[in-house]
Amino acid sequence: MVSVLRSQDPSQRRVLDSATRQRRLTRQLEALEKDNFQDDPHASLPQLVKRLPQFDENNESGKRRKKTRGDHFKQRFRKNFQALLEEEELSVSEGPNYLTACAEPSTLPQRHFCAVCGFPSNYTCVSCGARYCCVRCLGTHHETRCLKWTV
Amino acid sequence: MVLTRLRSDIATRKSGKSFSLYIVNNIHTNTSLVSYLTSDSCFLSVIPNCQFRSKTLRLKTFTANQLDEIKDPSGLFYILPFQKGYLVNWDVQRKVWDHLFGKEMFKVDFADTSVVITEPYFNFMSIQESMNEILFEEYQFQAALRINAGSLSAHRYFQENNSELCCIVVDSGFSFTHIAPYCRGRKMKDGICRINVGGKLLTNHLKEIISYRQLHVMDETHVINQVKEDVCYVSQDFYNDMEIAQLKGEENMVMRDYVLPDFSSIKKGFCKPREEMNFTGKYKTGEQILRLNNERFAVPEMLFHPSDIGIQEMGIPEALVNSINKMPEEMQPHFYKNIVLTGGNALFPGFRDRVYKEVRALAPAEFQVSVVLPQNPICYAWEGGKLLAENPDFEEMVVTREDYEENGHCIYEKFDI
Repeated sequence: MVSVLRSQDPSQRRVLDSATRQRRLTRQLEALEKDNFQDDPHASLPQLVKRLPQFDENNESGKRRKKTRGDHFKQRFRKNFQALLEEEELSVSEGPNYLTACAEPSTLPQRHFCAVCGFPSNYTCVSCGARYCCVRCLGTHHETRCLKWTV
Repeated sequence: MVLTRLRSDIATRKSGKSFSLYIVNNIHTNTSLVSYLTSDSCFLSVIPNCQFRSKTLRLKTFTANQLDEIKDPSGLFYILPFQKGYLVNWDVQRKVWDHLFGKEMFKVDFADTSVVITEPYFNFMSIQESMNEILFEEYQFQAALRINAGSLSAHRYFQENNSELCCIVVDSGFSFTHIAPYCRGRKMKDGICRINVGGKLLTNHLKEIISYRQLHVMDETHVINQVKEDVCYVSQDFYNDMEIAQLKGEENMVMRDYVLPDFSSIKKGFCKPREEMNFTGKYKTGEQILRLNNERFAVPEMLFHPSDIGIQEMGIPEALVNSINKMPEEMQPHFYKNIVLTGGNALFPGFRDRVYKEVRALAPAEFQVSVVLPQNPICYAWEGGKLLAENPDFEEMVVTREDYEENGHCIYEKFDI
């Protein structure tokens, strides 16, 4: 309890402004889009020697044609999603497209939940803007998460 | 992997044309529903559409249904060809298709086969072009039909309900949720709405809150996905359930314990039944237990209120009403009467009733509201594809390889994705 009170001393507390809070929120939402949170287990292995292609008697010419096509594809079609989105923005066409189809913000007010236990919350942490529901959750928040990493 | 055998009497195709074999390939972002229809039988396989790497088996990358061969799926690393629902990584997708169409799986004879493949709404032009090239030049299919998954669901719905003219399809999948109105079999582009909340977001959010409150599971996508499917449900009365979840001990009807798999004795996780739960004190056995309380219904709640975690978008019921309001006035009552729920997220218990309740509250009182949840929401679009393949008009709808070689990419206008 003493440590909680000390950290609320006005001269020691650091308060984030709204731009920083917005950036943190955007960061958190982007993190939810990730496929994997761990690194590729094969990344540190040395490259395996490529096995020789096994020629199929029936379709030799077809397969050879496929191989050259494959390299050609690799050059052209390695765009990531961001590049595709920029292309789409540039080609301004009439009518509905990917960008206009996105849902609008809700007309209902946003509900807030405690960052620690998940129940509805009424209070906001002064420093970082996270929500909490009771003093115990505030204590947990200060010990574990509050301002623990920079934006 | 689910294998369903459907014995169907597909009439042998008309004379002259040699393509009597079809593949209905419904690639949603995470799973691929593939079936190879021949004149006497039809198999449906539901296969993951990605590659996997395991920490333990260092040398091999597992493709699609080889997932079953992995003995220890802890810390499984996913390689998805899709990003935000759109196909960007062709290398991985081609590897998956090589495996599916090759010797180990379907052994497709390309020259004699047509393919029906689904794409998301408003797919980017460069992806469509790449798709054309890959289907016709690399795999050399006889003919191809590229179509939206919702169109197949709508086709299936109209097949069953001949008298209805309009329907609105809600497709809630892995990457996002699309709401698309259909009238007389054509999609109404002005009304298509996309909510960027899907199964992936729900699983990642669940991983985060479990990792913060109980146990570090950020690496365990496969296991927590299973937890989400087994234990989460959609609540009918959110605040009431929140209050029940705050009670202690036996009175808390919401709390459940989930036994995590350890892949040696317990192969697959399961939810402990209420009778065996120990409300006071710890369990004596050596199992790893997750205690799930308000997460059970707070996670699927994100489909209805994305603003709960800060995504400033409408939820499914609001977006439905919004979408219908963009339609001409005389059609609106027909849309309210024919709401179809498809996609993996529709499998949450209570999903259909909740959507009905919220739409009923938002819709004008004089309109009749009816929400339909098919028996198998994941395969509903695939069933539409199968019906389409059997349709006599199918041959007019596809683009053959000769067409493509003559006209090039202009043929994409025929598809209208």
